[in-house]
Amino acid sequence: MDKRDADSVKQAIGCPMSRRKFLRCLAAAGALAAMPGGLLRPFGAEAEKIIYEGDYEIYRNACPRNCYDTCAIKSYVKDGVLQFIEGAQESTFTDGGLCVKGYAYTRRPYSPDRIKYPMIQDGRGSGNWRRISWDEAMDMIAKKLVEINEKDDSMLGLGLTKYSGNFGITNYAVEGMMTSLGYTTRLVGTPCWPAGIDAQNYDLGDMWCNDPEDMVNSRYIILWGANPAWNSVHSMKYIYAAQDRGAKVVCIDPVFTQTAAKADVYWQVDTSMDGALALGMARHILDKGLFDKAWVRANSVGFDEFADYLRNEITVQWAAEKSGIPQQQIVEVAEEFATAKPATIWIGYGLQRHVNGGATVRSIDALAAMTGNVGKTGGGARYGHLRTWGFNYHALLQKRPEGAKGFVGGDGPKGDFDFSGDEKAEYTDRALNINKTAEMLLTADDPPIRVLWISCKNVLSQDFDRPKMLEAFKKPELIVSVEQFFTQTVELSDIVLPVTTLFEEYTINASYWHYWLSVNEQAIKPMYEAKSNTEIAAALSARMNKLKPGSCTFPTEVDTRQWMIKEFNQDIYDLFGIDSWEDLKNGPAKAKMHPASWHDLEFGTPSKKYEFRSDLCAQHGHQALPKFKAARKPYDKLRLLTPHTKFGIHSQFINIDWMEDFNKKPYCYLHPGAARERGIGDGDQVRVFNKVGEVELEVKLTQNVPADVVMMYEAWFKNNSFNCQNVVDDTSSDMGKYKTGAPGVAIHDQFADVEKV
Amino acid sequence: MKKQLAFYIDAKRCIGCFTCAMACKNQYHQESGVIWRDVYELKEEIYPHRERAFYSLACNHCENPTCLNVCPVVAYYKREADGVVVHEQDKCIGCGNCIRSCPYGAPRYNPVLKRAEKCSFCWQRLDDDRKPACVLSCPTDALQIVDLAEFDEANAVQYPAGFPRYPSLNPSVRFRLPAMPKMIRRKL
Repeated sequence: MDKRDADSVKQAIGCPMSRRKFLRCLAAAGALAAMPGGLLRPFGAEAEKIIYEGDYEIYRNACPRNCYDTCAIKSYVKDGVLQFIEGAQESTFTDGGLCVKGYAYTRRPYSPDRIKYPMIQDGRGSGNWRRISWDEAMDMIAKKLVEINEKDDSMLGLGLTKYSGNFGITNYAVEGMMTSLGYTTRLVGTPCWPAGIDAQNYDLGDMWCNDPEDMVNSRYIILWGANPAWNSVHSMKYIYAAQDRGAKVVCIDPVFTQTAAKADVYWQVDTSMDGALALGMARHILDKGLFDKAWVRANSVGFDEFADYLRNEITVQWAAEKSGIPQQQIVEVAEEFATAKPATIWIGYGLQRHVNGGATVRSIDALAAMTGNVGKTGGGARYGHLRTWGFNYHALLQKRPEGAKGFVGGDGPKGDFDFSGDEKAEYTDRALNINKTAEMLLTADDPPIRVLWISCKNVLSQDFDRPKMLEAFKKPELIVSVEQFFTQTVELSDIVLPVTTLFEEYTINASYWHYWLSVNEQAIKPMYEAKSNTEIAAALSARMNKLKPGSCTFPTEVDTRQWMIKEFNQDIYDLFGIDSWEDLKNGPAKAKMHPASWHDLEFGTPSKKYEFRSDLCAQHGHQALPKFKAARKPYDKLRLLTPHTKFGIHSQFINIDWMEDFNKKPYCYLHPGAARERGIGDGDQVRVFNKVGEVELEVKLTQNVPADVVMMYEAWFKNNSFNCQNVVDDTSSDMGKYKTGAPGVAIHDQFADVEKV
Repeated sequence: MKKQLAFYIDAKRCIGCFTCAMACKNQYHQESGVIWRDVYELKEEIYPHRERAFYSLACNHCENPTCLNVCPVVAYYKREADGVVVHEQDKCIGCGNCIRSCPYGAPRYNPVLKRAEKCSFCWQRLDDDRKPACVLSCPTDALQIVDLAEFDEANAVQYPAGFPRYPSLNPSVRFRLPAMPKMIRRKL
């Protein structure tokens, strides 16, 4: 509670009173539900015995964010108020703990900054917001949708951008709502991991990683461009356990990360030269005869051609020159990796956010495969998986309205999480590249995007070339954001609709990394006027059908608990060894899967083998072999890196006041040498600028970054205009189109210069 | 030796993730800016890489707590059974003696209640057979609860570099020092 709140409380009750006592009074008076959450406090250090099992109602929740860990949460509720949360101890992965972000959740539903009601902004970007009712909001939106449908004779003027803000399965109701309105425009693809997904599909036939808990069985671990100490904190204990059992851990990263600090060996690779390094290691393993001859003969195609390529075009010396890692080191680690069995590689997502990212992942996959480490416990080229995501997608799969017209001649949208199946129809939705959202909004025509619907996405914080995005956001006739906070995207929207937090809705959550499944129960009633995405779809459908009967097929009444239940099926029950979804109320369940992906060596490729040579990859315009691909040419003096912060996931969490206690403002990081050349001192305010735009912030000098790099963490601070997308362009990565509908984006192939302000 | 609970801070395992600090806020909802447990970055003279090694610190529940000794209204007591130092906020008059006296900065001023407060070692959780919130939360077991009467860890130290040495207080805390990997940097 801030000072002002505290003062108003004192005034209201006429005497100083602790918040706890105040709460008790409120609860007694039945007034608690009406109070803003800033006044809530569970208990303090005074002498009262607490019975943790018994004094609270306990609910099951799960973190729905775009994170490896997808933690299972146990929520403690009293008097209808969320008091505190813990990690579910039933999950050996979560093991009773969350992370710094997860523990801040208790604050989220009660944050004074929450969007409480539907609101409309008189003048986009003006800040003149006023409260409207849900009826008014739905009426305005529905009228506009009817209008554009009549004008265009289709709903293609309605565009959706949605990605990973909430991965709860029922949130696919947003896509379902779009389908139920007709054929619409979808921004498809993913900024996250697409090049690597395609690479693994070419090599293995799917993206499928070993159980992370199985890393304890590894005798050698290469953490390649992965920073689990920040981005998958619960994976670290398995890496430590392997280390305690004698495994060597090598961390390869352009930045000396927190994970690197915990490794046995750290390699400061030149950014985007990971492929050269992998190929140099492969060449040495080949020369020494340390590859697994029996494995490659029985389980792969194209190895001889790959070997020829290595012998003819790759040398360890070349790899050393390209990567900056000395030959002796490459030779040593290559030999150790090839002879320690099992050995594994965790391939991070950062190293594929390059114009050569897919090629890089393929060359690293090849290293794991040629040493016979694919299909083994403790082995594997670990990237991610969706093997536990076999839900019904009931919320997603809606019917089109009768007579709906759409896009002719397109393939329709695809995506990494596209579960809609193969829809064969005369018309499709119009698919536009999400990684070039600004460009797409500016150029889409016939019809243009007249109405833009944004959910589970913070476009102005996360999409690329923000200066262009600011222009693009002037174009739509109506922009609707579904949000919890006044983000920079909401600032440029016309209508904002308040959406529920994880504690206020029913859903299910699976992970793209571990093998656990969690149910997410409604633990508290939605605060203020927040609605779930499913309820918003139903409300819009009701209004649409009132205005124009038959214009929207989405059910107008939904029971969100029932909709959660409808996502389960027998295959899910069998996979997780449960009789009913209700078993998950006793804690998360783990899939009964072999810990090693590809353990049966039945690959998903056209040849059913591991494909060192992928003809499909060649057909798609890439190289058939996992050959080296050149990097993007620098367009400025320093390489610019914009990775994750430990205090947030993309633009989420950093704005929460509890988080501000530990992470007050953004910084950029510069090597003391680079700073000296520019007359910059530690703590100076600097300007980071390039052809895209500029940002201004305080600098910290550190040798954690190489001398040719400037680094800053992506973030949205609520009281700071910092935005790293002002200096990141929308250049595509090489792969991604095959499996996710659009190529990825070369987030780390950016360049900039720095000067003292 | 009598039972004395202590925090064991294993900086070799600690990833500086602040989970413990936020788990404390999650449990106690301290006022904005009031922090019972914080994660302190080691200076580059102690660990040569900025923002890469940390000590997670809260109240050290000293054998001879200065907070207790200087409190004019006996708002502090030390539990016989486990040595936990408890602050009873209802008795506190907010004089600030404890805040000024503690060399570890454990008691903090709550500007709303105008009283001191500090880490309670989650004694209510202890009494209900639960780990303190911070200890339970740690994803790498870098923060542990130990009994100094039985603690026998050869590599543990009480006063690592950067941590104030006050033997007269005898802080109930032990540390393991952070390690460093073999570094291979590219030449520019």
